[in-house]
Amino acid sequence: MTVLRQALDQAPTSLVAADRLARAYIDFGRELGDAHYAGYAEAVLSPWLAQSPVPPIALIDEATILQYRHQFGEARDQLRRALAQDAHNAQAWLTLATIDMVQGDYPSAVHDCSQVAASGGSVIGIACTGNLRSYLGQAQQSLVLLTQIAGDAPSLTVSFRAWVQGLLAETAERLGEWSQAEDHYRKALALTPKDNYLLVAYADFLLDRGRPAEVLSLLRDSSQSDTAFLRLALAKEALHSPDVAQYVWIMGARFEALAQRGSDYFGREQVRFALGLQHDPQRALDLAQRNWEVQRAPWDARVLLEAAQAARQPQAAVPVLAFIHETRLQDPVIESLARQLEGQMKSSEVSQR
Amino acid sequence: MNAAYLCTAYRRVCRALPALAATMASMTAGAHSASDAYLTLTGPTLNGPTPTGLRAATAAPGDQTVLHAQWDIALRDLDFVLQLDDNGDGDIVWGELRRHQTDIARYAYPHLHWRGDGRSCRMAPTGQMVDDHADGAYASLMFDVICPGKPARLRLDYQLFFAIDPSHRAIVVFRSADNVATSVLSPDKARIDLPL
Repeated sequence: MTVLRQALDQAPTSLVAADRLARAYIDFGRELGDAHYAGYAEAVLSPWLAQSPVPPIALIDEATILQYRHQFGEARDQLRRALAQDAHNAQAWLTLATIDMVQGDYPSAVHDCSQVAASGGSVIGIACTGNLRSYLGQAQQSLVLLTQIAGDAPSLTVSFRAWVQGLLAETAERLGEWSQAEDHYRKALALTPKDNYLLVAYADFLLDRGRPAEVLSLLRDSSQSDTAFLRLALAKEALHSPDVAQYVWIMGARFEALAQRGSDYFGREQVRFALGLQHDPQRALDLAQRNWEVQRAPWDARVLLEAAQAARQPQAAVPVLAFIHETRLQDPVIESLARQLEGQMKSSEVSQR
Repeated sequence: MNAAYLCTAYRRVCRALPALAATMASMTAGAHSASDAYLTLTGPTLNGPTPTGLRAATAAPGDQTVLHAQWDIALRDLDFVLQLDDNGDGDIVWGELRRHQTDIARYAYPHLHWRGDGRSCRMAPTGQMVDDHADGAYASLMFDVICPGKPARLRLDYQLFFAIDPSHRAIVVFRSADNVATSVLSPDKARIDLPL
């Protein structure tokens, strides 16, 4: 990063140099789970963001930053502006596909992925489609597609290979193939051991499998990341650790600090904090419903179902249950929760008659 | 909950739990997911009793108005601009921080500008210490804001870190005799007027 910074200092009007430094900041910040670097990237891009028209590269980098901050609407606007200038920009289409998947707009994501393939080539296109199918009741096909491109591995970058292994792990989880999922998480982490997203996803896997002690060692050096810290606190709770109250306090203070600055990155995490650590199902449900308006990935569905069940308000789960049926989302944990909530709704209908 | 209370609460809990403070809020360069600074301003209370626990400002000789301020800036943010971590081991130790105290003051203070009813006010540093927050250690800069006369309105222009990180936010807490007001400053809203 120092080298990239020097390159920009020597050529301060070079968009290529600025883009390289901004991308390095964004990637490094993502890896650490540290939003400071998104801010540094934004500062690097600011001279170009002030131009008219803004160059597509700067718009896409800015969209990536906004997506990272969960400002999805603003990120979409920047991507549309970029694509209006450069309709075949694979990075723009891939970022748009990611946002559409996070927000559960799968028909749009189908279109985005086809554009990714047309503009960026078959490998990245297959990764996009493979990821998407895992949300559409086609996790088995997704596994086949992703395995196919994982086989091309030697020609791909380390971070791309790690991303594909992470997708494979999550897809195996959709199918309840736990040992396969773990194998892929380990392969992904062998490639990028400090990747915050992968560490947190693997920690969630371990928490689900009743292995909280392993979470403590996995995330030992990641407490600076708020998402990782939540998993540490959840692991402490699962272990009935005497210092869980301290973890809960610090997590609460961090969310409070984020709220004060007007940031709202962590809807999903806040639900899990309210439910699993503050033991406040009503607050968890309120947060989950608000989060559902913004994000509709499988974990967002799951936390709303869990909160509705804990708050004994199965009716509150209706929009999520409809979404699951419509998209045919596969996930053993979510399917089980959905069945229980539907059962509770039926029995309450019977008792009301 | 206002920021001043939050800082006090952080301090209290972190000091009560030294083992936890060592792991979670040690003087490490890597911490927290976003950049915040906390600026707490107290006074002036020219009349009436002093609120418990507060250092009240007083009318200084020569017809001046004095307010007391504490500015908490994350070491992690200061490290990015000043390279406080001399040996590059990822931790900022006390010795490194003490060596850089003057650098921190010299870097930070020019990013604050105060005016009382349009007339320039000056800042007089009164101390610097380290403060543990939930997300890591902060440098606490203590100083007085000294304005000529008895202004009715104090204007603050804040520019710290905005040029290098537009997502930086300053959480300003103004404690007057009978009121606590909180405000968040950002690049789009870098100026605030406080009624005295």
